[in-house]
Amino acid sequence: MNLPSNDSQLTGFLRKNGRWGFRNYILVLPLHNALNQLADQVRVHHPATAIITSVAHDWSGEVDSDWARISRVFSGFAINPNVGATIFIGIGTPAEEEILRNARAHREMPITYLTLKDAGGFERLEQQVMESVSEVLPLVASVKREPAPWSAMVLGLECGGSDAYSGITANPALGVASDKFVELGATSILAETMEILGAEHLLAARAKTPEVGQAIIDVVARYERSISYEGIDIRGAQPSRGNIEGGLTTLEEKSLGAAKKAGNAPFTGVLDYAHTPTEAGLYFMDTPGHDIEQLTGFAASDVNITVFTTGRGTPTGSAVIPTIKVATNTEMATALPDLIDLNAGTIADGTQTVLEVGAQIFEEIVAVANGKLTAAEMGGHREFNLSRLYGSTL
Amino acid sequence: MINGYLNNSRGIGVRSHQLILPSVVCSTHLAKKVADQVDAITFSHQHGCGIIGPDVAGVNQFFVALASHPNIQSTVVLGLGCETLQGNEVTESITAHHPETEYVVIQESAGMAGALESSVVTARALQENFAPQHTELKTLTIGIEGFPEAAFINEFLLLVENSGYKTVISNASKEPSKNFADLVRNKCHLIISFPDANQPPTGLPLIPVVTIANSQSMLHQALISEFDFSSSLSAPALLQKIVAVANGELTKCEAKKIGDIVVPRMVRSV
Repeated sequence: MNLPSNDSQLTGFLRKNGRWGFRNYILVLPLHNALNQLADQVRVHHPATAIITSVAHDWSGEVDSDWARISRVFSGFAINPNVGATIFIGIGTPAEEEILRNARAHREMPITYLTLKDAGGFERLEQQVMESVSEVLPLVASVKREPAPWSAMVLGLECGGSDAYSGITANPALGVASDKFVELGATSILAETMEILGAEHLLAARAKTPEVGQAIIDVVARYERSISYEGIDIRGAQPSRGNIEGGLTTLEEKSLGAAKKAGNAPFTGVLDYAHTPTEAGLYFMDTPGHDIEQLTGFAASDVNITVFTTGRGTPTGSAVIPTIKVATNTEMATALPDLIDLNAGTIADGTQTVLEVGAQIFEEIVAVANGKLTAAEMGGHREFNLSRLYGSTL
Repeated sequence: MINGYLNNSRGIGVRSHQLILPSVVCSTHLAKKVADQVDAITFSHQHGCGIIGPDVAGVNQFFVALASHPNIQSTVVLGLGCETLQGNEVTESITAHHPETEYVVIQESAGMAGALESSVVTARALQENFAPQHTELKTLTIGIEGFPEAAFINEFLLLVENSGYKTVISNASKEPSKNFADLVRNKCHLIISFPDANQPPTGLPLIPVVTIANSQSMLHQALISEFDFSSSLSAPALLQKIVAVANGELTKCEAKKIGDIVVPRMVRSV
């Protein structure tokens, strides 16, 4: 694949903390499940609906053993660089204020906090949120797209609904694109600890330092302990039934294929769930394999584009990150056209090489960064998930 | 007397909702589109895939409990296809007792547009084929969530008992949405919620929830108009309200669609 010219082809929105966004949303973020409906109503009914995004979740304010994880996801999600302004809507509790403080500490941006307690009712609160959207709208619109360096890219690598083609078509092609971005000075994040289980030694051998290599081994060992704490052998639960129907036989086989998304670049570091990379390079993030827990963790870590390879076909997307779906096989890409952005099945068909599809994925990432809508965006997908460990962390 | 709905095999309910049940997070978005088009209820959730151990059976059983509830007239299960919790098996568990149930799977529906179209057709056909009829509900089951004052609730329970109604109490959690799960499983027709002082009034899509404010709670006092009752209510007035709601009067949370269904989980996702 030819190296793109050193001049960046990217355009984005420069944020005050130095991060770049490729979208410029107003996020309405409910901090209690009783406010999910209200957030959705504002998104649908405000005249600026096209740039408003919102999520729904099941949290109702509990502060338990998963609090640090939940708090970090909310505050990180709110300041994702693809978001131009965030309106938190809450009940009015100390836990909510902690989320606010963490968000404000990491990015200077328009952040509003409106509570049910202050508003005195649901209608009044909805009206206040509508007004608040109108107020921040000119501020958000005043930030214009401008030429961005390659280092603006924080790429998330994901796979879901994998099949036997994943490891030979879409994943290695994504690896080609990821390597290219890393070479150009961007950041790329591989995740899903379950899906490197059995391949961790290969990834550790690519670490920039022995400490990073050990961290990769440790994170997998910690994961296995955390699952067996529950008395469950992960190898009995994975690959999933959908994976098996797709031709995968063991978790190790799934992992060897999944790891190919990260190409051959050296690993710069290991990140905990929803933690943000501090310098450019290739990272591994400790996330569940659950598609939406991973995607939400990415969003809370400043990832601004995700490429999601899929064998069986999945429609999901993020409320804040454009998510590019790459099919591993032509049969599925043809059968489910409105879920898929690119087909890597041509590699198995013999009509394209891994390098050719890799170059195509690279170009698609650039196009999406510059404003092209993904299938998941056009479908309005905004899945969101609070990842909980229920005390099973070690 | 309570004029309920004969919800086919699910028995007699106080509402007659069609449930669009996404069996996995990946189909929740489609479920909302379908529910909006056919005037059914649904909910967003993050479950059905990447679950292990006790959660596989637990989530399945909870979905079956939702679909089997007497306030539900029929169910359309929406699956993706490749998930851990297979939608066809959830559907079979429901259909074993409730034939007014259908299953649509995205990966076999030519994509999202196709899945939406076939789900809407399927949902409408169910509504037409299994139209509910009004009928008398003799044994109302009332769920009680939270921590009412002892003297008040004892008086209320006595009244309820004399009326021939049943009660189920759930207060293991401070969050109403978590206590609701038990009350769903117990097939409560409606719920009286006494939210914790730091919790707003919260409802459920499939069960009317009558909410009662706590006089000691600053939050509740600030939101007093959002509750069905202030705390200074009498037991007979509450029972009268219950009967009115059972006969179709909407609760505040019902009218404003406040509250989602929270699916109980025990272990982390993989």
